[in-house]
Amino acid sequence: MKPHRAGLLLASGSALALLVAACGGSSSSAPQHAASQVFTYDTTAPVMDDGWDPATEYSDGIIAMSNMYETLTRYNAVTHKIDPLLATSWSKSADGLTWTFHLRQGVHFHTGRPMTAQAAKAALMRTIKLGGGAAYVFSAVKTISTPDASTLVFHLKYAAPVDLAASAAYSAYIYDTQAPGGGSLAKWLNAPHDSGTGPYTVQTWNKGQEFEVILKAYPGYWGGWNGPHYKKVVFRVVSQDSTSAQLLRSGQVTFVEQVSPSVWQSFKGDPGIRTVSAPSWQNLLAQINSKTLDLKLRQAISYGINYPGIIAALHGAAVPSSGLIPDGLFGHSTDLPNYTYDPAKAAQMLKQAGYGPGGKPLNLTLTYTQGDSNEQVVATLLKSSLAKLNIDLRTQSLAWPTQWAKAKSSDSTNHQSIFLEYWWPDFADPSTWFTNLLLTEHPPYYNLSYYSNPALDKQINKVDELTATDPTAGSQLYHAMQVEVLQEAPLQALYNVNYQYAMRNSFTGFVSNPAYAGVVFVHNLKPTG
Amino acid sequence: MIEAPSTLPTGGARLPRGQTLRRGLAANPLLVVGGLLSALIVLIALLAPLLAPFPGDAGTATHPFLVLRPPSAQHWFGTDNVGRDVYSRVLYGARISPLIAVAVLAIACAVGIPLGVAAGYFGGWLDEVIMRVTDIFLAFPPLLFALALAAVLPASITTVIIVIALTWWPWYTRLVRGQAASVAGRPYIDSCRALGISRRRIIFRHILPNSITPLIVQVSLDVGGVILTVSALSFLGLGAQDPTPDWGLMVAEGQNYFLTSWWVVTFPGIAILVTAFAFTLLGDGLRDLMDPKRIFLR
Amino acid sequence: MIVYVARRVALAVLVVAGVIVLTFVIAHLVPGDPAATWAGPHASAAQVAAARRYLGLDRPAAVQLLGYFGGILAGNWGLSIHTHRPVLSDLAAVAPASLELVTVALIIALVVAVPLGLVSARWPGRAGDQAIRAGSILGVSMPIFCLALILQLVFAQRLHLLPVAGEYSPGLLFSHPLTRVTGFGLIDAPLTGNWPMFGSILSHMLLPAVVIAAYPAGLLTRMVRAQVLDTVGDAHIQMVRALGFGERAVFGRFAMKLAWNPVAAAVALVFAYSLVNTFLVEAIFDWPGLGSYATASITSLDTPAILGVTLFIALVYVAANLAVDIFQAAIDPRIRLR
Repeated sequence: MKPHRAGLLLASGSALALLVAACGGSSSSAPQHAASQVFTYDTTAPVMDDGWDPATEYSDGIIAMSNMYETLTRYNAVTHKIDPLLATSWSKSADGLTWTFHLRQGVHFHTGRPMTAQAAKAALMRTIKLGGGAAYVFSAVKTISTPDASTLVFHLKYAAPVDLAASAAYSAYIYDTQAPGGGSLAKWLNAPHDSGTGPYTVQTWNKGQEFEVILKAYPGYWGGWNGPHYKKVVFRVVSQDSTSAQLLRSGQVTFVEQVSPSVWQSFKGDPGIRTVSAPSWQNLLAQINSKTLDLKLRQAISYGINYPGIIAALHGAAVPSSGLIPDGLFGHSTDLPNYTYDPAKAAQMLKQAGYGPGGKPLNLTLTYTQGDSNEQVVATLLKSSLAKLNIDLRTQSLAWPTQWAKAKSSDSTNHQSIFLEYWWPDFADPSTWFTNLLLTEHPPYYNLSYYSNPALDKQINKVDELTATDPTAGSQLYHAMQVEVLQEAPLQALYNVNYQYAMRNSFTGFVSNPAYAGVVFVHNLKPTG
Repeated sequence: MIEAPSTLPTGGARLPRGQTLRRGLAANPLLVVGGLLSALIVLIALLAPLLAPFPGDAGTATHPFLVLRPPSAQHWFGTDNVGRDVYSRVLYGARISPLIAVAVLAIACAVGIPLGVAAGYFGGWLDEVIMRVTDIFLAFPPLLFALALAAVLPASITTVIIVIALTWWPWYTRLVRGQAASVAGRPYIDSCRALGISRRRIIFRHILPNSITPLIVQVSLDVGGVILTVSALSFLGLGAQDPTPDWGLMVAEGQNYFLTSWWVVTFPGIAILVTAFAFTLLGDGLRDLMDPKRIFLR
Repeated sequence: MIVYVARRVALAVLVVAGVIVLTFVIAHLVPGDPAATWAGPHASAAQVAAARRYLGLDRPAAVQLLGYFGGILAGNWGLSIHTHRPVLSDLAAVAPASLELVTVALIIALVVAVPLGLVSARWPGRAGDQAIRAGSILGVSMPIFCLALILQLVFAQRLHLLPVAGEYSPGLLFSHPLTRVTGFGLIDAPLTGNWPMFGSILSHMLLPAVVIAAYPAGLLTRMVRAQVLDTVGDAHIQMVRALGFGERAVFGRFAMKLAWNPVAAAVALVFAYSLVNTFLVEAIFDWPGLGSYATASITSLDTPAILGVTLFIALVYVAANLAVDIFQAAIDPRIRLR
């Protein structure tokens, strides 16, 4: 074709494209009326990979589930008290072995059935029986009785704070076990369906896709829908920080769970965006392989980690930690023999074992979770500071399921030397750092330092009951355990996470609650935009 | 790497000499630019330890208190997310990508030339077999085959070299085979055979030298392509691992900070672009220089 | 003609068979024991042995290959580890979005390349030609993931001209949901009269398509220029000139017509090449196609999915080659007489 004709075609073609783009594009840049009723939560990894069963969910799924399901009580991080939710009041007997909960009236499951004490009991018993997730929070429970339709009584084997357990982020949901009629509940739930009492119910699940989960309002919610509320909740999986930032700036997402610190800083000054910095109960752990690395090596490695460097590099996303238990939880202590960055001491300890600068090189592997830029920075800094000690640390980034499967594999030659992961409590109680990470496990599940210390096991199994009956003694035991763990160095808490949330300021009512990591209770928000 | 080998007349393909060369160069400013740029990059690669202000940053050194600093007098290209000097790392990166490219193309030639000459000279069933096998390998776009292999093998520079070389050799086999077949069919080769000259002498003195010239051009054109493939594999995490200052890896690591710290991605990206551009320009110019038609058209 | 087509098809079948064998070989290069992976992390030795029998890994390699072959032809391409779905159904779900994207990219590339190549060939050696040649070499030298990041930053974030990421704007999920008929958004939307969705998809597609078009545009410009320059010296072009046609007609009508043949061949090849380039671009724009699926498979070490994608694209490549060969033979009788 003639060049000038081609040029004309080119010009008209691009004009047409731009015109169409303008029509289509305008619907994405200017917020529509319908859009202000939709709360879009931007997360970096898929939310419902663990399945749809509220009894066994033990991962990021609570971000969505906490809007579909509810618990008997909820922990209030501002007042440090336990608030009523599905239970309106409760009391315990003098010896602490009997807890009586009075349930809220007029609550219905999304299946239409009313929430009665029998239904609540059935849910809790199923959760306890399945034993998955954080079901251990109810390990003190012997039996549950239902004297009438709105009273739930827990009979315990030993004293334990049931109100706190009932507020757990995992495995404490109340759901309708009769949902599928006669069939398997697990299958029905994974269809997906939900049988919760919460303000939202599942509308769609696009597994493996960007708009992963869509929730819609449940009209019969006991909390009601008076006043401005979000009618839909969308969970959008966006793996890249820069994309999330741009989506937030253009208003296409409402809330961003996590971005790198520098991107978070760049939001300040943007009139449409609100940044929230809040403490968390989450820390980053380096679990050191106790089977392949003996005590001296573990301690040397612990001295070879550049703690202040890591915190500086993370620009406000990290604060120094003391011991295993984060600040704000029972048992936290600043009076502990924490490790400092002491390369000279580390070199000396390594030399005694024949390693270190001038000695044999030590070859280690580290795995961390793919998609987390902070973990990548930490891994690089670890590699760098250990390289100075003649330790060659090979770092590998893997998708979380792959990272975890590799650590749990029955072929122990496949196990990493250092496992990087975040840890946070299932409920407002510090025992999880010990029961999940340090109890002897065959085969390994979360004890990915493969550590076994029978004396410590005894202490761990005792501490819950002790805390319930004698808090001072409990606090002392936690202190002793933390000292032991520091000296044995099967794992190190590298830092405590500082939440850096970013959201549109088109709504009010957001409160960061460290007891429910990453959860936004959307019904409590009031859209203003 | 999609381009079919150039439509060079096989007979007179030789590098021009003397005056013709100078005239050819003057007519081809792009070749001059390409040549100079390529030479500059090689020079930088050789002198990197002397030019880099922070040579340790190309290794395991980090500076956690200097992360993500913008370009300044102390750090010309700024610092990355663990405080390493981007300028030093970009300079050292000039050693990696071109070196990988040289290794890859050397292997590809080492495999492709003998196979191509054998197929072209002997013909018959040997030719058929070699060509069919080549066809099968050529059914994969280069990056794809390299990717599939790299995804199943442990990620490292060695893997990258092997994997890309495996993808590249078929092109050269085909190119050399075409040339060898054409030369082998010429009357004077028959004369050689009639005179009783040994097969080995015929292959090494006559077939081989005449088949390789277009290959030289193709190789210089391909350096750019290999560098792009290497950087793509590194970007996907399948190539060099941290802390190796591979340009593609630097872009991959920096993309999360791109919004607030544009320098972490931009400078390695420009390095990839300039290097690929320079060598492709060089190859393009070389091809033009050797094409007799081109000279007449001026 | 029939003989030619038959020979070409037979060759293509042979190549496909070889491709399948090659992917089998790659699959077995994976370090580690697939039986152990299948049996899970808590399996005992007996369970792993049972898994090995179940997966047929205890049979000789040749038998395994035959089984693999049969499986591929029957449509069993394995189970994806990260989506837990059959790889073939995953591919069917994600391929349309990428095929759409690459098609639009190639259209953009042709619209740019043909006029530029013609201009370059019309006045060879001049400043314009040098600039266009430099520009086209720039196009093929550009690291595509850098271009994607830069364009996204400039056009979406700084200038707010185009959307940042995704396939369509999220509000439309509720107001104008798209009913999938063919799986291709650009076809389904107008088919169901959903014009807002059509516009949204097009505007979201523009940036990634431009990025992917860079390499083909550069390549095709060079091709058009080379081919036109080649034919312009030919005898029949001399005759066209002798007949009195102006230079514009010589280049536009006659030379370009002859150049189409090799250019069409190049388009087919670069289609498959661009499909692979989507791996580097789709994740940046959150475009839900083959590229995003491939990158997700790579990061989760999902070997069946990676090989499925590889096989799929190789098949597309072979099919495209075959189609172009037959098309060329149909148009140009000299080819099939060779």
